[in-house]
Amino acid sequence: MSAILEVHDLTKDYRLRGGLRRPVLRAVDQVSFTLTEGRTLALVGESGSGKSTIARILARLEKPTAGRVVLRAPDGTQVPGRFYRDYVQMVFQDPFASLNPFHTIAHHIARPLRLHGRARDRAQTALLVDQLLERVSLAEPALARRRPHELSGGQRQRVAIARALAPGARVVVADEPVSMLDVSIRLDVLKLLARLQREENLAVLYITHDLATARHFSDEILVLYRGRVVERGPADEVILAPRHPYTKLLAAASPDPLARGRAEQIGAEDEIDAASAATAYDHYTGRWTGLQAG
Amino acid sequence: MTNLNADLAAPRPRSGRRVLPRWSPKLAIGVGIIVVIGLWGLAGPVLVGDPDAIRDIGLTAPSGSHLLGTTQTGQDVLAQLAYATRGSLSIGVLVGIMATLLSALFGIVGSYVGGLVDEAFSLLSNLMLVIPGLPLVIVISAFVPASARGSWTIAVVLAITGWAGSARVLRAQTLSLRNRDYIQAARVAGEKRWRVIGVELLPNLLPLLASQFVFTVIGAILSETGLSFLGLGAANSATLGTMLNYAQNGFALQRGAWWWFVPPGLIIALFGCGLALVNFSIDEIINPRLRDIPRRERGNRRREPRPAERLDDGAVLDDGAVLDNGAVLTVRHLSVTYRTENPVHAVRDVSLVLRRGEILGLVGESGCGKTTLAYAINRLHRPPAEVTSGSITLHDRDGDDLDVLAFDRDELRAFRWDRLSMVFQGAMNALNPVLTIRAQLDDVLTTHRPAMSRGERHERCAEALRLVGVDPRRLKAYPHELSGGMRQRVMIAMALLLEPQVVLLDEPTTALDVVVQRGILRELLRLRTALGFAVLFITHDLPLMLEVSDRIAVMRDGRIVEEATAEQIAAEPRHPYTRHLLDSFPSLLGERGAFIRAGEDERGEAARPPAAAPDGGIAAEEVR
Repeated sequence: MSAILEVHDLTKDYRLRGGLRRPVLRAVDQVSFTLTEGRTLALVGESGSGKSTIARILARLEKPTAGRVVLRAPDGTQVPGRFYRDYVQMVFQDPFASLNPFHTIAHHIARPLRLHGRARDRAQTALLVDQLLERVSLAEPALARRRPHELSGGQRQRVAIARALAPGARVVVADEPVSMLDVSIRLDVLKLLARLQREENLAVLYITHDLATARHFSDEILVLYRGRVVERGPADEVILAPRHPYTKLLAAASPDPLARGRAEQIGAEDEIDAASAATAYDHYTGRWTGLQAG
Repeated sequence: MTNLNADLAAPRPRSGRRVLPRWSPKLAIGVGIIVVIGLWGLAGPVLVGDPDAIRDIGLTAPSGSHLLGTTQTGQDVLAQLAYATRGSLSIGVLVGIMATLLSALFGIVGSYVGGLVDEAFSLLSNLMLVIPGLPLVIVISAFVPASARGSWTIAVVLAITGWAGSARVLRAQTLSLRNRDYIQAARVAGEKRWRVIGVELLPNLLPLLASQFVFTVIGAILSETGLSFLGLGAANSATLGTMLNYAQNGFALQRGAWWWFVPPGLIIALFGCGLALVNFSIDEIINPRLRDIPRRERGNRRREPRPAERLDDGAVLDDGAVLDNGAVLTVRHLSVTYRTENPVHAVRDVSLVLRRGEILGLVGESGCGKTTLAYAINRLHRPPAEVTSGSITLHDRDGDDLDVLAFDRDELRAFRWDRLSMVFQGAMNALNPVLTIRAQLDDVLTTHRPAMSRGERHERCAEALRLVGVDPRRLKAYPHELSGGMRQRVMIAMALLLEPQVVLLDEPTTALDVVVQRGILRELLRLRTALGFAVLFITHDLPLMLEVSDRIAVMRDGRIVEEATAEQIAAEPRHPYTRHLLDSFPSLLGERGAFIRAGEDERGEAARPPAAAPDGGIAAEEVR
């Protein structure tokens, strides 16, 4: 197992419009992590924690203010920028918005195949499109000729996954890939992602606000709070033995079918004080960083 | 946000956009007029004689040899009309094409590229907008010597003055489309910029472009007519405007020669009318909501209130439900249908009993009819939705049984909010941004409690905020000064303001973070104990319901498939769908299981439990 995507001290500032001083909002603050082949890293956090910004930076939809993203080819050399998208692809959150209503399903998969030189002629493209659809369990005949609105949410998200795989990606950034789907099909889509990851030895960045799927679906979890990583560690350790107050709060607030009747017991604390927000716990080293919070 | 409105079967404009307008009488008439006039302009000149042939018969009324009479120089009006129609149409289409290209360049490319280019382009189009069109056209035309003033010159001048409005419309639309995920996805896939614009963006702008094109053609024909009428038109050209100009100069009006000026006027009016009709149909593609013009409410006829039979507590009704005198709301055999082309039975034969002070969780996925049910209970459903059968009874605090479906307007007003209130999905965005929190809470009291004094109202508003855990000092705040969770609390305070007996909560916390959600639920449970209202809690989140509710009803495809206490649902769910829903939520702290990572039991969606009717989401979309 070798590191294939290294993220070093990623920082992103947004300049807020208006006012003479043009205040700066730090959406992502010195976040570092490594994506490895065959492993899933979950970024967990609530809205405004910066997790989607990180996804957009990794997908090259935004430029970071500071920090580096290093992509390594299998031989360990750094991949030059113009080939970046051959390796890193993204699955968007809302399958109702991420497919172009005007185009057929085939178009969505054929374009990346052509763009990344995976298919040369029409016949080969059609063949590969069918193969990819089959891989995401969408082997219905004539599905490729249909348009997005004729598909259910789950089917659309499968198409979006096929599109991400089309360029032969080694790294898949999945930004809340199931939060817009009906609950009864969420697991199917996650299982599909897990199977593809196994089969292709992909590195997956799974971005979510849902601790339960983060724990079951990933190997490693990074908890983000206001743009900073406050806790990192193996998935089970972070969820079952959280150390940072924010992770504890998140875990306590998440609904759990086994925790019936718990609702009234949870304490009234909704906020994390500034001092502990500035700390972070690393399960690998067993050390706190930042100001000590106990 | 998943099923925002999906239950309501509201049109989702982003899904399933049509490329061609739907055939309708409006469109048929519009296309008919355009085709007839277009054919006349194309073929007419071939059929009629020389329009310039001067005869010495002077001004004559329509007759057998000259169907539309002659001008004062004896020229055949019909022949002139044919050539003039051709002239006007070709200028109109020419200008339409040029102006649309210009507006697409400045509107679409500018806003997609963004930055300085966009600033410059939109500055230019705004400048062009404030320059009054016709005077500019007159000035420009006057500068060009009459001899060089051909049809092309006029067309170019009209195009230059006519594109700016369309460019602004296109820019606005492009700005919204360029941030859509499918555009971003195309960028991630590595598409070149011009391809993103041309292949991904442009097709979705086609309806708008078509509509702007039609609009520009009408404008161009009218402007050209105005110019020619003033004698500033193209030299040696024959258009409807020049015809009117000659008619004016020949004193046609004063001499009562209606056949000279009425036909060109009529053609302009009809053509404009036809294009406008076509534009209506194109607008319907852009905004599908226009298509379903609500039919008149048929449920207006007043139903006689049926006093619900008073049965003994525990009596078994015909449907097997157990009558409960502790009930505050009884829904029996309720069916709601969307009367569209393919009627959708959103709620089918639903019976529910809500007891005083209990929390009943109504759990289901998008399109299962849960929101439609809530709207029907509140009588908020609007055509095409219609209650086709069943009854809704509110067992009032003072012992009366009220037939909700039989309420007239005033009774409904007294019923809503006073006895039964509702917190809508995404309600925190339903606060009026220009009014303070106090003004909005106060409004409820002035409407429903006119007898209260100002001081009492203020006291009540402050108390309501305290109840939901918001500092009463926030009464002075405007909605944007509050966080999402705080706004949702204010909405709950508003729902509790009149101490209703029933509160309907429709996914009240779905759009909120879990920590905020937890806080709001905690308040809700506390208030329920303190105030004793009953809650119908609608959500897709079964684990959440297991934690907070007393009983749970699981809804699917319009039916309640299982209803039991939360303990029973958790311990031994009977319906396979309930089991499937439960299995869909991995436990946070429980066994990891072979569950996801092993992936061996990966099931396709086809393997969903029995009675898998077409996907609910699709059914809801078909309602459009």
